[in-house]
Amino acid sequence: MNRIVIRACGLAMLCALPQAQATNWLMLQGTEAESAAPRAKVWGIIQAQYQKDYSDASAADAYIPPKLLGPDLDTQDGFNINRARLAVRGAGFPLDGKINYFLMAELGNNGITSAGNSFAKMTDASVTFNHIPGARTRVGLFKTPGSEEVYQGIINIDYINFTEFGNQQLIERLPNDKYTNNRGAATLPVDSDNSLNTVEKPVAAARDTGIQVFDTFVMDDWEHSYAVMLGNGNGLSLSDNDDSKDVYLYWSSEKVFGGKGPRRAGWKMFAWHQDGSRLLDNTNDDVHNPQEFDRTRWGLGTQYRKMPFRMTFEYRKADGMIFVGPDKMTFDQNVQVSGANPGGADGAEGKAWGAYLEGGWYIPQTNWELDARYEYYSRLTDDSGHPAGYNFESIWKTLTLGVQYHFNKKTRATLNYAFRDVETPDFAKGAGPNANMDGIGDRLALQVTAVF
Amino acid sequence: MKRHNDTIRGSVSLLLLIALFIGFSPARASEAKPFAEKQVVLQISDPDPFKQTLVLNVANNLLKHYGPDRVEVEVVAFGPGLRLLQAGNDNSPRIDGLASQGVRFSACENTIANFTKNLGKPPELNTHAVTVSAGVVRIMDLIDQGYRLIKP
Repeated sequence: MNRIVIRACGLAMLCALPQAQATNWLMLQGTEAESAAPRAKVWGIIQAQYQKDYSDASAADAYIPPKLLGPDLDTQDGFNINRARLAVRGAGFPLDGKINYFLMAELGNNGITSAGNSFAKMTDASVTFNHIPGARTRVGLFKTPGSEEVYQGIINIDYINFTEFGNQQLIERLPNDKYTNNRGAATLPVDSDNSLNTVEKPVAAARDTGIQVFDTFVMDDWEHSYAVMLGNGNGLSLSDNDDSKDVYLYWSSEKVFGGKGPRRAGWKMFAWHQDGSRLLDNTNDDVHNPQEFDRTRWGLGTQYRKMPFRMTFEYRKADGMIFVGPDKMTFDQNVQVSGANPGGADGAEGKAWGAYLEGGWYIPQTNWELDARYEYYSRLTDDSGHPAGYNFESIWKTLTLGVQYHFNKKTRATLNYAFRDVETPDFAKGAGPNANMDGIGDRLALQVTAVF
Repeated sequence: MKRHNDTIRGSVSLLLLIALFIGFSPARASEAKPFAEKQVVLQISDPDPFKQTLVLNVANNLLKHYGPDRVEVEVVAFGPGLRLLQAGNDNSPRIDGLASQGVRFSACENTIANFTKNLGKPPELNTHAVTVSAGVVRIMDLIDQGYRLIKP
């Protein structure tokens, strides 16, 4: 009898574990404070920026996307409103604190809105049900649990541009419906006839439409979180375009030092896995014959954050649907060459991996912050031992140095300078992919971020 | 004699029971803190979640300033402000902490009836919440007893 009572008490205690109070990305983005959420909290973010790319033209006086500024890819310097987002969130029926919603639209000029010159694009529309302890359920369109770099709120991103791996393999470019030839390099000024950016769909922006079961468990000063999600695997397109679904898995454990919200002090470890398939017409002909290609992304990492320091490390891998550009959502490096060596440079079935280490130091007693990030990225990783001349693996090494000035906790200016070094080692300088990659140079960026 | 003893024993037992009842009843008025020099009633009737934090901050600051034994604080919640006293409210740990220092929390029965109508079931309340027939009436009664009304 006593054992039964003890077990019952134990079970009751387990069920009564305190739930986290909006202190990690799963909870911050998917839940509201119970019985303390407004009916509708309006908020948003504006990012105005100036960037200058110092890359040189190829020998043929031409430029490829990494040498131009996105999303338009027609200039090497200019101002842009990179992000302008308007959002509403809360508990629609405040008396019932167990249901909350999140709605956001992007009005800035970036990969989300540039496709079709959209004035605005909905990026989030979700409802979370918090009725089952340990199994909150979120349905709709929302950020998929994954790499810290892209899963964190934009408000928290301390660099102006994503890492190359993040930009190319995680901010997913969805294939055009029908095969389009590589455009090759373009000469400046890039006019509409020679546009490098004739894409049909917005980037996925690390979002998907589906259903997610998740929760966070607090055990002393540790928080353990999990998420399992099933989604269309079609980015911001809302509806599904194939028979398969993407599966997203996420786990994090964090020792909480104190504070709350997006910049809470703590030491977090996390791992994630995303698996699905994409429809891609990858044959160089006029026939519409798309096939399904597997797409897997996974990674693990850790982050330490306690004033005045922050440090993050992530290791990430990509298998299949390796975006290589140069545009129109191309997943093969060069059809003519790879055709002679099937699989040698086929991004649709290729691999990539990358790792980055970054850190920040908030200079005590000032509003200044210093940041530095180093990334190593292998695209079309050669793990098959291709013969010389057919290995299209390119290595991207980027060191980004940054300075931030925080006017207040919601407004800051960021200055970044990125030293970029890109090459395809198996090819001589000026040969193969290097003909265009040679000359990829540094990039200067200045940005103001205002959250309201 | 035996009957007399039984009568005395019965009376003593009854007195003890009454004493116990008084002793363990939740103290609702000034007798809870006999050394209190200040008496404050805090009103929360606003739907703004920020006000929930604010009213708890004020209660905490009063305790810090005067000392828990020197000030009596009662939070009266009615209207949309009753959400503060719903069982799952994120501020529940703070309410526990304040209640342990003698802060009282009153929940308006009229509002509970309205919540019940809207929710289709009675709202689950914080275990520290004590229902009063009407929040406004409770505030007026406390003012009559010498309390000062603060509406953060």
